[in-house]
Amino acid sequence: MARSDSESRKKRNTGTILGRTLVLTIVCGVFAFAVLGFQLYKVMIREHERYEELAVRQQTRSVSVSASRGTIFDANGHTLAKSATAYTVFISPYEIKMYHEKEYKKNEIVYNDEPTLIARELSRILGADYDTMMEQMKDTKSWYKTVATKISAELADEVRQFKKDYSIAGVHIEEDSKRFYPYGQLACHVIGFVGTDNYGLDGIEALYDSKLEGTNGSVVRLVAMNGTEMLFENYQNYNDAINGNDMTLTLDSTVQAVAEKYLQQAMKANYIQNGGCCIVMNVNTGEILGLANANAYDLNDPFALPEEKEAELALIEDETERGKERTKALQAQWRNMAVSDTYEPGSVFKIITMAIGLEERVITEDSSFPCYGKIPAGQIQGRDTDLNCWKHAGHGEQNLRQAAMHSCNVAFANIGLKIGTKTYYDYVRAFGLRDKTGIDLSGESGSQWWSDEHFLGPYGPGSLASASFGQTFNVTPIQMITAVSAAVNGGYLMEPYIVKEMRNADGEVVYSREPTVVRQVISEETSALVASILESVVADEGGTGSNAYVPGYRVGGKTGTTTKTALERQTGVREYMVSFCGIAPADDPEIAVLLVLDNPSNESGIYIGGGQMAAPYVGKIMSEILPYLGVQPIYEPDEEALLDVTVPRMVGEGRLSIRQKANELGISVREVGEGDVVTAQLPVTGAQVAAGSQIIAYFGESAPQETVSVPDLTGKTVAQARNTLQNMGLYLDTSGASPAIAGVTVASQAVEPGTEVPYGAVISVTLVDNSNLGMY
Amino acid sequence: MDRYDGASAGMTGEERVYAQKELRDRRAESRQVERGAFDLPFFLLTLLILLIGIVMVLSASFPRAYYKNGNATGIFIRQLGFAGLGIALMLVLSRLPSTFYRRMSLPLLLVTGFMLALVPFLGTGKSEVGANRWFDLGITTFQPSEIAKIAIILFFANLICVFRGKMKTFKYGVLPFAGILVITVLLLLLEPHLSASVIIIAIGAVMMFAGGTRLWVFGLGLAVVGAAGFVVVKFFPYASSRITVWQDPWSDPLNKGLQTIQSLYAIGSGGLTGLGLGQGRQKYMYLPEEHNDFIFSIVCEELGFIGAVLILALFAVLIIRGYWLALHARDRFGALVIIGITSLLAIQVFLNVAVVTNLVPCTGISLPFFSYGGTALLIQLGEMGIVLSISREIPLRKKMSEDEDKK
Repeated sequence: MARSDSESRKKRNTGTILGRTLVLTIVCGVFAFAVLGFQLYKVMIREHERYEELAVRQQTRSVSVSASRGTIFDANGHTLAKSATAYTVFISPYEIKMYHEKEYKKNEIVYNDEPTLIARELSRILGADYDTMMEQMKDTKSWYKTVATKISAELADEVRQFKKDYSIAGVHIEEDSKRFYPYGQLACHVIGFVGTDNYGLDGIEALYDSKLEGTNGSVVRLVAMNGTEMLFENYQNYNDAINGNDMTLTLDSTVQAVAEKYLQQAMKANYIQNGGCCIVMNVNTGEILGLANANAYDLNDPFALPEEKEAELALIEDETERGKERTKALQAQWRNMAVSDTYEPGSVFKIITMAIGLEERVITEDSSFPCYGKIPAGQIQGRDTDLNCWKHAGHGEQNLRQAAMHSCNVAFANIGLKIGTKTYYDYVRAFGLRDKTGIDLSGESGSQWWSDEHFLGPYGPGSLASASFGQTFNVTPIQMITAVSAAVNGGYLMEPYIVKEMRNADGEVVYSREPTVVRQVISEETSALVASILESVVADEGGTGSNAYVPGYRVGGKTGTTTKTALERQTGVREYMVSFCGIAPADDPEIAVLLVLDNPSNESGIYIGGGQMAAPYVGKIMSEILPYLGVQPIYEPDEEALLDVTVPRMVGEGRLSIRQKANELGISVREVGEGDVVTAQLPVTGAQVAAGSQIIAYFGESAPQETVSVPDLTGKTVAQARNTLQNMGLYLDTSGASPAIAGVTVASQAVEPGTEVPYGAVISVTLVDNSNLGMY
Repeated sequence: MDRYDGASAGMTGEERVYAQKELRDRRAESRQVERGAFDLPFFLLTLLILLIGIVMVLSASFPRAYYKNGNATGIFIRQLGFAGLGIALMLVLSRLPSTFYRRMSLPLLLVTGFMLALVPFLGTGKSEVGANRWFDLGITTFQPSEIAKIAIILFFANLICVFRGKMKTFKYGVLPFAGILVITVLLLLLEPHLSASVIIIAIGAVMMFAGGTRLWVFGLGLAVVGAAGFVVVKFFPYASSRITVWQDPWSDPLNKGLQTIQSLYAIGSGGLTGLGLGQGRQKYMYLPEEHNDFIFSIVCEELGFIGAVLILALFAVLIIRGYWLALHARDRFGALVIIGITSLLAIQVFLNVAVVTNLVPCTGISLPFFSYGGTALLIQLGEMGIVLSISREIPLRKKMSEDEDKK
C-alpha cells in the first residue's frame, strides 16, 4: 500500500520528465536518424554514379604510353630513321597549389614558396625559362603544363632526384620518344622529319605518318593526391600501345651517298648558284635508288640553317621581317627540288622526241636530217622567228644517230614537225609528262605545257618545233627520268616509288609494293634502238655526251642545256639550266641517273653546258654504282690499255720478279740502288695510277721522305699531266671522259695546286672532252 | 548537518512515520542497488561501437600516417591506447555513486569556466581556422569545451533537482540556466569555437526541456538564436561564406568547399555496398580530416550505404537504450544526467553526419567513438561510465520486472 503510494508520488513528480524524455527519445533516437538515413540514401544511392565518376576522375591518372614510331630502313636494312626514348617534364599547377598550400601549411613544415622553388630548380636542371614557368603556375586549374620535351634520361633522373629531395608534388615526368636519324643529312628530302609532337612534317615521315606513328596506349592508375600510388591498391587499366609499322625503302644508302657526293662536287666545281638535284632510278621497276638535292640539311636538327644563312638573317633588324625570312629560308632548305620544282629539260627531251618519231615510223635510223644552222622564219607554221641550232654553222648531212650525237636542234624540230602536234601531245601524255608520276613523296608538282587549244591550233607547230628539243615547257626532274626510263626499258612507263615494304610491330608484312606498269608507251624494238643511240652519244667519236664515259660499262645518255627564257624576258638576267640523263648498261638498261644543275656561273672556267658540267658527274656516279650493283665491267682491248693500274706489292721481292709483274700490268719500273731485294716502293701498294705510269722500286735504299708541291694540271692533256707529275715524283689517276678521245683535258684535280703532298702521292684528276663545246 | 533520518521539523506524526518508512525503503533499495550490476546492453553497445570506430580509425588514417610519418599504424596505435584508458576510466566512473557526480557538479562547472576563460590566452591552435581551443598537455592536447559539455549536464541536472517544482517559473526555470549558458557561450566565442557553442546551447536546451521549463521559452529561445544567426550571417563574411558554400560547395572548390566536396565524393562513391573495408581512396590525402571529423565519409565510402546505416542504427539503439535507462533511473538527478549525456551523444552524431553529408553547413564536430582524438575519446567513455554508474542504481527487481513487462 505504502509502496504503491510512493510509486504514484514518484510518477507525479517525474511526470513531466517522463513525457518529455519520451519526446526526446522519438526526436533524438528515431527522427534524427531517419533524417540522416534519408540524406545518406540521397548521396549514396541516388547520386552515387555522379559522385563516383567525379571521385574516380580525381583519383585516377591516365598516363599515356607512346607508341614507338616505326623504323625506316633502306633497301639493305640500314636504319635511316628510328625512335629512341626521351622524356617530357610537365608541372601540374593545380596539384602544386593544392598539395603545397594545404599539406605543408597544415603540417607546419616551413618551405620556401613552392612555385618559386620548382621554377628555380627546373630552370636550373632543364634550362627552361623561369618566368614562363611562374606564369604557368598561375593557372591553378590546370593539371598539365609542359616544361620541357625530348629531354634525355640523365636529365629526367635529375628531375626525379629533385622531386625526391624536396618531396615535391605536381612535377611529373612522362615517357616520350625522340626521332633519331643515324645518317644525319643522308636522303633528308626523302625521309623528312617529325615535329616535337612526333608527327611527320616532311617526306616519308609526313606522307606515311599514319602508318609509322602507331596508336598510343594508356595506363590508368589510382593515385594519391600527391601523385604517388595508393598503398595496397593495384587497380591498373592497361591499354597497350600499338607500335607503328617499320618501313623498308627502295632507297639504297650507298647509292644515295654516291649521288649526294657527286652532286655536291658538281655544285662546287661548276659554281652552281641555285639548286641542284640528282635522281638514281631502276628503269625496269621504277624504284628510286637515290634522290638527292643540293640543299641538304641535318634531319636531327631540321630547323637549323647553314651558318652563312644565319649570318645573313642576323643582319635583318626588323624582327617580324627576320622571322619571315627565316621561314622562307627553312622552306627553301626543305624543298625537294627533284619532285617539287619544274624545269625546262632542253635536249634531254630529244630522247622522247626520238622515241615518238621511231615508234610512229615517221623516221628511221637511216633517215637524213641535214642541218644548216637554222630553220628560217616562216618555214614553220605559226612561227615568225628563226629556229637556230646551237651550232650556228650547222651539222650538215646526218642520220638519226648522228643527229642525236650532235644534239642537233634543227633535226629534232623537223622530227617533231613530222610527228605532228596531235600525235606528239598524245605521246607526251602517254609518257606521263602531263600528270604527276604518283611517286610516294610529299609535295610532288605537275608539269606546265601549252594548253591543248593552243598546241593543237594554228600556232601549235611553232611551239611543237621548240618542244621537240625540250624548250617552252616545264616538267619535274622525276617526270623526266621516269619518261626516259620508259623510253629505254622496253617501252613501259613505270610508276616511280620509294616505299617497298611495311611490316607491323609483329613483323608481319602489311604492305608490299610491286612495280607498277602504268602503260606501254613504245615497242621493245623502238626502245632498244633509243638506248643504242644514247650509247653512241656517250661512247662514239664526236658524241656530245662523251664526258659521261665509264670504261668497261656501256653508258648511254643525253645532255641538256637551256637558258631560262621567261626569266630573261622579265628581268634581263640570263641564267642556265644544265643537266644530263644517263642510262646503263645500254644493251639492257637497268639504271638511269639524272643530274640537274640550276644556274652555273661561267666564273667556274668550265664551258656552260650539260655535256661539260653535268655529264662528267653522271659518269662518276655510274662508275661507282654499277660495280656496287653487281654489273660486271667488260673492257674492250683498247680500253684495257687505258685503264688505271693497281700498284702491286714489290717490297721483299727480287729484280726479276718485279720486272715480270710490271710487264703483266703493262707498266714500267725504275730500279734504284744496288741491293737484290726491294726495300721500298713508290707509290704504295694498292694505289691506282694511270696507265703508262712508271713506278719506282728501291733496292737497299729508302724512298725519299720530302714533300712536293702539287702543280696546276687543269687544261693539260693526259700525257702532259702524267709527265708533269712523274717528273716531280707524283702519280696521276684519271676519271671522266675516256683518255682515248683526242682533245680530252684535265678539268679539275682532287688536290688543289700548291698543296704539299708526300713524294710518290697519287693525284686524281677529272678529264673532260672539250672537242665538242656547245650548249647542247 | 545531522544525519538525515527521513523526518524534519514541522511534520505531522503521520507524515513523519511515512517519511521514515520511505527512507527505510529507499535505503533497503539502495543497498540492493549498490551491489547491482550496470546495464549490460548499454555497455556492450558502447564497446561494439568503439571497436568499429577504432577499426575505422586504422583504415582512415594509414595513408596519411604513412606519407607523413612513414608509420602507417601510428595514429591507430595511439587511438587504441586511449581507448584502453577510456574503457578503464569508464569502468572506474561506473563504480562511483551518482551522489558523487551531484556533489562534483558545481566544482566542475567552476573549473570549466576557469579553463574556458584561460584557453584564449594559454591555449594552442591546431587548425587552419586560427582559433585557440586546446590545452597542450605534452603527450596529448585537451579541449576544455569537451569538459564544459558534461559540466553543464551535471550542473543543470543538479539545478533542476534543486528547483524541483519551480521549473515552470521564469525566475527559476529559465533565468539561471540561460545565464550560465550565455556566460559559457560567450567564453567559447572568445576562442572562437562556434560548433561547441551550438552543442552547449542545444544540450542546455535539452536539459531545460527535460527539466520542465515551459515550452514557450524554447520558442522564444529559438527566435533569439535564429535572429542572432541571421545577424551573424548577414554581417560577418566568414559566416555568410559558409552558408554560400553549404548551398553550393562547388562555388569555392579549392578552399572552403573542398572538405564538403571531397566528403561527398567519398560518401557518394560508397554506393550500396561500398569499396570494402580499407579499400577507400579518398583518404589518400584527397579528403582532409579523414580520420577526425570526416571519418564517417570514409565509413560510407568503404562500407557502403548498408554499413553506414547499420552503424547509425547501433548509435540509435544505444541512444534509445540511454533514454530507457533515464526513464528507469532511481531519481530525478540520475534520469536528467542520462538524458543529458544521451542527448549529447545524439546531437554530436546527428551534427557530424549532417555535416559530412552537407545537410547542414560545415563545422568541426567529431563523431563520438570514431573520430581520432585522445581526450575526446576519454571524456566520451567517461560519460558512458557515468551513465553506467546511474544504471547500477536501478533496482534490480524493478529492472527485471520491467524487462518482463516488455515481454
